[in-house]
Amino acid sequence: MTKEERLKKRHRAEKRFRFYGLSSIVVALLFVIILVNNIFSKGSSAFMKTVINVEVFFDPELIEIKNGATEDEILSADFFDITIETLLKSYPTKNIDEEDGLIDLFTTDAEIEIKKAFLDNNNLIGKKINLEITASDDIDQLHKGNYPRDLPEDRRRISNFQLEIYDNFVESNKIDKNFNNYFFNNGDSRDPELAGIGGALVGSFYSILICLLLAFPVAVLASIYLEEFAPKNKITDFIEININNLAAVPSIVYGLLALQILLATIQLPRSTPLVAGITLALMTLPRIIIPCRASLKAVPPSIREGALAVGASKFQSVFHHVVPLALPGTLSGTIIGLAQALGETAPLILIGMVAFVVDIPSTPVDPSSSLPVQVYLWSESAERGFVEKTSATIMMLLSFLIVMNILAVYLRQKFEKRWN
Amino acid sequence: MSDIKIKSKNLNVYYGDKQALFDVNLDLNEKEVTALIGPSGCGKSTFIRCINRMNDVIDICKVTGNIEIDGIEINDSNLDVVSLRERVGMVFQKPNPFPKSIYDNISYGPKIHGKGETKNELDEIVEKSLKKAALWEEVKDRLNEPGTGLSGGQQQRLCIARAISVNPEVILMDEPCSALDPIATAKIEELIDELKKTYTIVIVTHSMAQAVRVSQKTGFFHLGKIIEVGKTEKIFKNPDNKMTQDYITGRFG
Ligand SMILES: Nc1ncnc2c1ncn2[C@@H]1O[C@H](COP(=O)(O)OP(=O)(O)O)[C@@H](O)[C@H]1O
Ligand SMILES: [Mg+2]
Repeated sequence: MTKEERLKKRHRAEKRFRFYGLSSIVVALLFVIILVNNIFSKGSSAFMKTVINVEVFFDPELIEIKNGATEDEILSADFFDITIETLLKSYPTKNIDEEDGLIDLFTTDAEIEIKKAFLDNNNLIGKKINLEITASDDIDQLHKGNYPRDLPEDRRRISNFQLEIYDNFVESNKIDKNFNNYFFNNGDSRDPELAGIGGALVGSFYSILICLLLAFPVAVLASIYLEEFAPKNKITDFIEININNLAAVPSIVYGLLALQILLATIQLPRSTPLVAGITLALMTLPRIIIPCRASLKAVPPSIREGALAVGASKFQSVFHHVVPLALPGTLSGTIIGLAQALGETAPLILIGMVAFVVDIPSTPVDPSSSLPVQVYLWSESAERGFVEKTSATIMMLLSFLIVMNILAVYLRQKFEKRWN
Repeated sequence: MSDIKIKSKNLNVYYGDKQALFDVNLDLNEKEVTALIGPSGCGKSTFIRCINRMNDVIDICKVTGNIEIDGIEINDSNLDVVSLRERVGMVFQKPNPFPKSIYDNISYGPKIHGKGETKNELDEIVEKSLKKAALWEEVKDRLNEPGTGLSGGQQQRLCIARAISVNPEVILMDEPCSALDPIATAKIEELIDELKKTYTIVIVTHSMAQAVRVSQKTGFFHLGKIIEVGKTEKIFKNPDNKMTQDYITGRFG
């Protein structure tokens, strides 16, 4: 081979390699785009809900309270008759079947929504107002175009009569789409139009908070001790190997551990963020220790020597110089560990967080759900309304993860000192 | 003839099973510069790190024998190394300023030893130390900028100022110029000449010329043993030992 040929061959090899690398990146990006696109196209509609504009008449005949009633009186009052009247008046019906069909177009919480309107203004007795009532899940999906109307009637959840009403509502501009406040404020529900991630958000928040409070100090102190103070011997080597092993243990094993120790032995309350937080802390601990030790290790020994040489004690050299320098790396490792914990599902299922929880937990010892478990729960449901909610919850979860990861990268790039 | 400041007697140092120093007996004179020369790995750094007990940080390092400063034994497990290092400062081969401001680099030592109670006192110490290290004029307008942003030679003088800041009696320098260019080196050498009026200085160097320029006394190490010590002039003009002769004429090393 001549010199030119060899040179050409080398250039070709380099070109080939560039091509392979570029194609891998394109393929990887393609998958991300498909995933994100799929989730977005399915989930974005969940942030809006369909509402039907109706006229409510607060008929004094149908309700026992007076204008100016107190909040307690209103809350305990019965709005059922007014609600049924209101819904039935929204469209003419001929028989009881048609009446049922009409009522089914509205959410089962219509009474509560009317009551809320009265709570906002307790002077409405004898008056008429226009109110937007949330539509039932079927109408919601129909209006969002997720429901096929060309199926034969016996295979549809929506009857021909209901379709007729819907078309009439659309024509008379009574149907609208509003921001779906229920999705963020409500807990889980059997009715998709009422189901929300409020409970899961709060549950996840408490779990991650407890995880952080337990795992961070323990991990940081353990790392500092192991890296700076512990003698290097067989025992510390053994500990080091086992920390790496623990970080690789499948998360479900931590769930089993929590089930046995936290629930069966210590008898902490099931399905609660407290147990979830402790479980996630156990799992996250080694995942924080590893980056924390790595960033301590990355601080050059010359800094420690410099401090010692001016007469700093070991403790001072570590806490005045080494730890502050290792902090950005430690924090970013912690955030990444928490992000993993936030997305963790398997151990939470084992400790009973799959329970159907309607109420939003007010303390970490109330039964609760969490975002990934909510995804799991809804993905199992047949109703179309839960399909978009599943994707929307994934979108929320992904946004949290992306924000946390960006924060981690930012912390590292902005504050970490580089050594040459 | 000056007084003896530091005296080592039968000093042996081991790294695990490996012995790095063998029965080193060496006297260092007060307010004088002593240069330590010898091929790489012969134990020069190990020796000077015994003087401020820096070897304590190395788990496997064991030191036997005696080192006295002003007649007081320092190789003694009851001795408080913190106050020893306050008296014996050190400058390293690679400049290692803290990644903090110039001011904080200098004020750190006095602060932890409770020397500057007020901001004024600290300001004074910082100024005095930087002046002594011949760095004041170059940095007085940017004391709040990071010390790591200075040039290599300035960083090394910053480290010298940091060592001076706690008002030591002895300054150990382990090849302080090996990472510097000739101009920065010249500045440091000039500085050493000035500093020896106040401090006892021990400098490890690879450069024969530097040893000749800055030191009054020179010790030649080889394979962990001290081969020859004496007045610098004598060592370089007319050494007693054949090995010293070979080393300084560049025949090995
Ligand atoms: N931390 C250490 N651990 C083990 N051996 C060491 C350590 N430091 C130095 N040594 C050994 O001690 C000997 C002397 O080293 P050193 O004092 O650094 O030499 P010099 O400074 O003269 O080049 C060398 O053989 C070196 O390998
Ligand atoms: Mg050395």
